[in-house]
Formats: sequence, C-alpha cells, structure tokens
Amino acid sequence: MTDTAAPMAVDSLVLAIADGDKSALEELFRLEAGRLIAVARRIVRRPDLAEEVVQDAFVAIWQRAGQYDPKYGQARGWITRIVRNRALNLLRDSGRVDHVDGETLDAMGDRVGEANTAYELMPERHALKGCLAQLDATKRKAILLCYVTGLTHGEVAAKLDAPLGTVKAWIRRGMIALQECLG
Amino acid sequence: MNTRSDHNDDIANYVLGQMDSANRARFEERLTREPELLRAVTALQTHFQALDDTVSAEPVPVGLWGRIDSALGQQQVLTAANTNTKPGVFGVPRWAGMAASVALALGVGFFSGQSLQTPQQGQAPLVVAVLLSDDMAPGAIIEAFDDDSIRIIPLEALIAPPNSTLEMWTLPDAETGPVSLGTFQEARELILGGPDLPAPQPDQLYEITVEPEGGSPTGRPTGPILLKGFARAPVV
Repeated sequence: MTDTAAPMAVDSLVLAIADGDKSALEELFRLEAGRLIAVARRIVRRPDLAEEVVQDAFVAIWQRAGQYDPKYGQARGWITRIVRNRALNLLRDSGRVDHVDGETLDAMGDRVGEANTAYELMPERHALKGCLAQLDATKRKAILLCYVTGLTHGEVAAKLDAPLGTVKAWIRRGMIALQECLG
Repeated sequence: MNTRSDHNDDIANYVLGQMDSANRARFEERLTREPELLRAVTALQTHFQALDDTVSAEPVPVGLWGRIDSALGQQQVLTAANTNTKPGVFGVPRWAGMAASVALALGVGFFSGQSLQTPQQGQAPLVVAVLLSDDMAPGAIIEAFDDDSIRIIPLEALIAPPNSTLEMWTLPDAETGPVSLGTFQEARELILGGPDLPAPQPDQLYEITVEPEGGSPTGRPTGPILLKGFARAPVV
C-alpha cells in the first residue's frame, strides 16, 4: 500500500536535497510523509496538527539538509528527529494542545494503549525491546509514555496516578539502566 | 561542573523529549560543538527509533505537498538574499554542518598556528598554489619554500569551527600519500613549518581540511576539504 523507503535511499535523497534538488525533496515526501504523519500524530494527536508538523518539518529538511552528517547515523533517523522535535515544540510551547483539561483526559487513556502497542510491535530481536523488558513494568510504562506519546513527567505522573517525584525517579533510574543495557 | 550522571540525565531528557524549548535549544547548541555528546545522543536516539518504526503510515492529505512547495518558494528567496551578504563563502561540503561556520566566519583574527615560524625574509618560494573552494572561488594562496615551510595568505576569512582545527596537507607523490604540514585555528598570513619532505614540485597538491581538535587522528585527512589547489612554479 504505502511505499517504505530503504534507509540508503533516504540517505542519498537527503544528500541531493542538500544540493538544492527539489525533486529529491518531493520524492522523500512521497516515500516518507505517511510514516512521518503517523509519528507526529502519536504526539500531537490531532490530524490537522500532525499535518502542520510534517509541513514545517519538510521546510526544515529543505533548509537544513546541508547540516545532515552521515557520520552521526542514517538520514531516516535525522528526518524522524526533526518531526519529533517539531511535534514536541507544538505540544510544549504553543499552548494549543492542553493535555490536562477534562476534554483530553480520555485521549490520554489511549496513550497508554498506544505506548504499549509500540512496545509490543517492536521486533523481539531489537536491543531496545530486550532492555525495556528487563525494567519494572512501571518504569517501562513511564519511559514509553514519554517517548512514544510525548507526555511530560507531570502528565505521566497524572496518568499513572503517582507522585511527580516518584515518576521522575522511575524515569531517571529506568533510563540509566537502559543506557547501561544498550551500552 | 557537570558530572557524568548529569551528562547522562541530559542525554536521556533530551531523547525522551522532556526538555522545555529553551533547554532544548541550549542543548542542541552544545550538540553542534561537542561531537562526543552528539555521538552519545545519536546512539540512544537510534535505539529509540525502533519505537517510531512501529507506526503504520497514514494517508497523506491531498494538497500537503503543494503547501510545502509554496512555503519553499518563499524560503528560496530568503536564502538567495542571505547568500549574497555572506562575507566569505567557501563551497562548504554538503555533509559538514560544522564546516558551515567556516563559511560564515567573519574574520580579522590573530595567528594561532601551532608550527609558527618567522616569515621568510626575502626568500623566493619554489612553488605557489592558489587554493580553490569546490565552487572554484579562490580562498587562499600558498607559497612553499625549500626549507619545507609554507606561507598561507588567505583570500577569504578562514576560521576553524568550534572543537576543530584546520589542517594543511600536501601530496608529494602518490606513494608517500598526503602529509600534514601543520594545523591552525584561524588564518591570516601565517607560516607553517612542515616536516622534512622532498622539495615541492609543480603540480603538487595542497589542501586544507577541517579536522578534530589537535589535528587528524589518523595522520591522513579525515574531514571535509575546504580548499585545494595544485602548485605552479613562479616564472622569475
């Protein structure tokens, strides 16, 4: 149904974009926009905001492709991070998406499900899955909520009905254990 | 002073998206000048990307590409205008974000050459080379003397990006391979004393690359080439 871009293809497209090749940007859009909209929507929830994120991200990719450095990983990761950062900016800074009002509490319910689904769908062979599996369920859940759905520590605390300080400590210790495990 | 654990907390908070925009901007600025930090962040992000990869692609709304395309139209005008005002535009290798700050560097500076020697008094160079950027703009003139020293006369501002250094190389012959003539942070006219080499020849290659602080770790050029050119013998 949807084209999936091979990481190598994305690398060469981003290098072409850095040279000002707009057709390469259009090809990147054709290959990756659907996936990137989905990544953004996990964080910003609303489809219109996810689209806005991806639109801004493609403008940023056009402007900043020259800064992409293959030494630091594949271009596919680089463009995903641009999208995630845009989505997080929108959540954190615009005030347009308020997760603590009553209307969005239900949507937050989905988020636990979504974070778990992402964890379940990760291939077993992936190092991150093995390392997350070694954590206590609460630490794992807190970390997944932060990364997958973009919740803040405070929102995670509200969601898991635990004191903020406790949740911060779970996440901190969980991340130390993960970094050691992934080492 | 940051402890190692603060360091790991910063990395974790950044990757998990827990920094506010001001802290994120500050942290990203550090990433541009701390390659080790960038490496650690990228490694963790690469692991976490497995979670992003579990999404199913969503339908792409009709018209989204059109909106991006028209936003780019406005961007291109801005970019073109900026380019004309840049003081020293080298052809910056496309992958080297770090090298971009060389192109933007404004520069009247002072020497900080590592192998600085006194300028040659009245000595004629054996060969001269005009070093060009990859868009063929002349960026520096070098003169090579028979005592293996090199005089660099920059034609554009030439300043190393943070946490890196500029390194001058020559290729005496294919068998010897590239040889470092010295490193420097910022060039105006300066003299580098090179290692003991055969006398420079016409057509010998000279180039300046961006290398990690302290110079290339391998003894060969590893970073982007800023300028290069072939030597000519002066007709005098």
